[in-house]
Amino acid sequence: MTAADTPFERASDPYRIGHGRDWVSAGAGRGYVHATGHGEGGPAAKRVIAGYGFWIFLLSDIVMFSAFFAAHAVLQTATAGGPSGRELFNWWSIVAQTFLLLVSSFTCGLSAVATEARSQLWTQLALLVTGLLGLGFLALEGRDFAGMVMQGAGPDRSAFLSSLFAVVGLHGLHVSAGLLWLGTMMAQIFVKGFRADILRRMVCFNLFWHALDIIWVALFTVVYLIGLGR
Amino acid sequence: MSHETDTRDPGDVGPGFMDAAELTVREGIARYVIGFVLACALTAASFYVLTTSLIWGPAIPVALVALAIAQMGVHLVFFLHINTAPDNTNNVLALAFGVLIVALVIGGSLWIMDHLNENMTPMHQMMQMQR
Amino acid sequence: MFGKLTWDAIPWSQPIPLVAGSVVVLTILAILAWVVLKGYLPYLWREWITSVDHKRIGVMYTLLGMVMLLRGFIDAIMMRSQQAVAFRAAGYLPPEHYDQIFSAHGTIMIFFAAMPIIIGLMNFAVPLQLGVRDVAFPTLNSTSFWLTATGALLVNISLVVGEFARTGWLVYPPLSELPYSPGVGVDYYLWALLISGVGTLMTGINFVTTILKIRAPGMSYLRMTVFCWTALASNLLIIAAFPILTATLGMLALDRYLGFHFFGNEAGGNMMMFINLIWVWGHPEVYILALPAFGIYSEVISTFSGKPLFNYRSMVAATMAICLISFLVWMHHFFTMGAGADVNAFFGITTSIIAVPTGVKIYNWLFTMYGGRVRFTTPMLWSMGFLVTFVIGGMTGVLLSVPPADFLLHNSLFLVAHFHNVIIAAVIFAAFAGVTYWFPKAFGFKLDEGWGKAAFWLSLLGFYVVFMPLYVAGLLGMTRRLQHYEVAAWRPWVLIAGVGILIMIAAAGCQVVQFVVSIRRRDELRDETGDPWDGRSLEWATASPPPPFNFAVLPNVQGEEPYWEIKRRAMEAQQMSAEPRYEPIEMPRNSPTGFITAFFCTMTGFALIWHIWWMVALGIVAAYAVFVWFAWRDVTEYSIPAEEVARFDRARRQARERWLAQHAGQPA
Repeated sequence: MTAADTPFERASDPYRIGHGRDWVSAGAGRGYVHATGHGEGGPAAKRVIAGYGFWIFLLSDIVMFSAFFAAHAVLQTATAGGPSGRELFNWWSIVAQTFLLLVSSFTCGLSAVATEARSQLWTQLALLVTGLLGLGFLALEGRDFAGMVMQGAGPDRSAFLSSLFAVVGLHGLHVSAGLLWLGTMMAQIFVKGFRADILRRMVCFNLFWHALDIIWVALFTVVYLIGLGR
Repeated sequence: MSHETDTRDPGDVGPGFMDAAELTVREGIARYVIGFVLACALTAASFYVLTTSLIWGPAIPVALVALAIAQMGVHLVFFLHINTAPDNTNNVLALAFGVLIVALVIGGSLWIMDHLNENMTPMHQMMQMQR
Repeated sequence: MFGKLTWDAIPWSQPIPLVAGSVVVLTILAILAWVVLKGYLPYLWREWITSVDHKRIGVMYTLLGMVMLLRGFIDAIMMRSQQAVAFRAAGYLPPEHYDQIFSAHGTIMIFFAAMPIIIGLMNFAVPLQLGVRDVAFPTLNSTSFWLTATGALLVNISLVVGEFARTGWLVYPPLSELPYSPGVGVDYYLWALLISGVGTLMTGINFVTTILKIRAPGMSYLRMTVFCWTALASNLLIIAAFPILTATLGMLALDRYLGFHFFGNEAGGNMMMFINLIWVWGHPEVYILALPAFGIYSEVISTFSGKPLFNYRSMVAATMAICLISFLVWMHHFFTMGAGADVNAFFGITTSIIAVPTGVKIYNWLFTMYGGRVRFTTPMLWSMGFLVTFVIGGMTGVLLSVPPADFLLHNSLFLVAHFHNVIIAAVIFAAFAGVTYWFPKAFGFKLDEGWGKAAFWLSLLGFYVVFMPLYVAGLLGMTRRLQHYEVAAWRPWVLIAGVGILIMIAAAGCQVVQFVVSIRRRDELRDETGDPWDGRSLEWATASPPPPFNFAVLPNVQGEEPYWEIKRRAMEAQQMSAEPRYEPIEMPRNSPTGFITAFFCTMTGFALIWHIWWMVALGIVAAYAVFVWFAWRDVTEYSIPAEEVARFDRARRQARERWLAQHAGQPA
């Protein structure tokens, strides 16, 4: 039994947390391998771990949204004699909000490219535009909500309006949290530069912002467009 | 001390950016531009479907849902870089799991609530419906 | 200034909560004073409160769960004793108090006893069994624990300040809506669960990422232990189900706080939607608890039968099948609420189907024992008690899965007996089996076998004496949650159950004595080698307790049961493998983030309950500030030098060499 076969023999300690490569001492895959998470290579790289963890967090968030969507689907006709979607929705505002969010998703992607190129100026610029577009989105949405409340069509008017305010409002809450996060990220990149852990957070932020746009696609289709048809 | 350094370790990649380190800036931007254009087109199509009589009325919700799913797919592929490469398997499986749960929650809830509402309609509402 | 909070919130005029609350508060103050005066606080802060080590967090979770198990058990004693005396009489607990007790009992047992114990055992054992140093997100792990502790704290505060919900543990509307529950009880429930639910969701994300992305080299999926597979399935369910709990309770909170109409009677609300959504969460929740419990039994039974687990692949398949099907059965919790025959039939069939993979597991455990050299240690006894008891509970479950039968038995004591049957047999017995099994690994000494066995036998007996009569009473028509009753036919059964609770009190006493005696006798019970049970999986390859970095060098896994293989080779060669080359190890730094975040969440939760709006704003701002402050730190890891790693590992190797020398010439 040679030293190379014993289970605890290692050419070197592979677990330098999340550095992505590992030493396999026996079998066909002998040598340094990428840690793919399928087992052969040992613990995966930190960026893989952080990205995957955030990805499944996003999926759990989408499940939470689906519960609110289900509630809205059930309650969409429960107008209790109050106004329905057709009477309330502001067509152009919805178009504008959709456009703003979509462009902000695009500029967020551009910021990822700028980050890859390690350009402080373009990263900050792209993030700033993303943030301003997001703020514009929130401003329009807030104006719509305020208008509806003034008309007496607030969330306390009927179950339909409750579920509308809840599902759209939850999305708006996520956008707000995203903007707070964006501001923090801009500050961090400015002060600390493109450090590895900050880069991982940028990956997570990008995933988050794109996911918000995906949810908005579902939202405007189901709540507004299909609701407008009623 | 263990300060993290900015290394371009090719093993240190994550979902959504698996090959980002190997793309040029041009290729990176091109990907996002294509996705953006497609998404705009699909969004415009959704609004268009609603305002014109191109699609037969009762089929409009179906068309809208189809367009929405297509646009979500565009986002996933072009913005989130989900693909079927072998190191992406876990991401695709997680997505499939999420989609399954969402389908069960929404579909199951609608099926059950629909039956409940029909069977358990309060008396005054039934009388109202019969008038 | 303080919202709805006044001095009247303290139950001055109700002797039972007043006395109970005073005893608890005084005990806590006494413990705190002792800790501070003895100078343990710096040690506790450095080594436990700010720890991000999965082993420490696992121990704290389990301790929290055990303490809350005791609190929930006291509620149970009160319920059983009230029913025992309240035949055509008022009993000693007024209805509004009794309602709070059964609501608190369910809430505490599920959320703050069972969940923390199971999550604690997963926290402790999974990274060790995977052969790695920690979970994917250690600081997040610490935050999860402290948020769960926040929820437990809020529920317990309701005993002394205000009241708890009177709606049952699932707060159905419209009873839980503002017109019918105007007090703070439901609000305590809501915020405790919304806050701790975030913690649990983060645990789910942490463990799925760990199990899928962080394993020792060579450990492919089919070389993981069954406990790791069940942990994976359970955490997948957490990720899928807990967001729905958050959403549904969030909707109820919106109804209560902002006048929304999701579930109310007026303006078009639909109360059945709450019941639907809450059970979409509720059913996967019981599998979140049961699957890791099954994993514990797999470990214990194979270790103490001296055989590998029978048919590992079918165990894995059965686990994942249960994980999937558990999302297809939820409607069986409200068959009687009018969905109609076709919907009922579908869910009745899926509920029956989910019994099949569970049956596969039972047979696999039996076949693991068959032909093995069974050692009847305490963990093995708990497992064997489970095998018998759970089958009975499962069979009553299959009976209930038939909608026409359920129409008679829904919300009767038969149902109550069924779910206690399955939960106690699966989760509680597994909790004690797992704690006894992994205790020497965590603390370096075994628990006393004699008191452990006494606790087991009394628990088993007590369980049957309490719950079998409740099955009968349920079949005779007795409904659940009765504060008093008039029907003479039920009386003998309720009385027998009352006697049974006395037996369970004795069992609980034995458990406590077991811990006290074991700590006193710890030098005799010391685990020298790190492998007190002749284990088969990787956690037994470490010292007891393991060093912070778990493994000096990550094992290279080449087959199933890697540690068994290591031992076999060492025994054959009569020597240890060669000493590896030691290198410095990077470990994550401790952080007070979790504790401080939880502190502000407690403050925010309490303020929301009592409508102290300025405190709510302050709490939220402070929580965000903590997040930014944590995100700003520059140094996230510390390095353990190679000499120190070598020192730990050489001590471990020497202990093993001594054992090997003592057992020279014996077959592997």
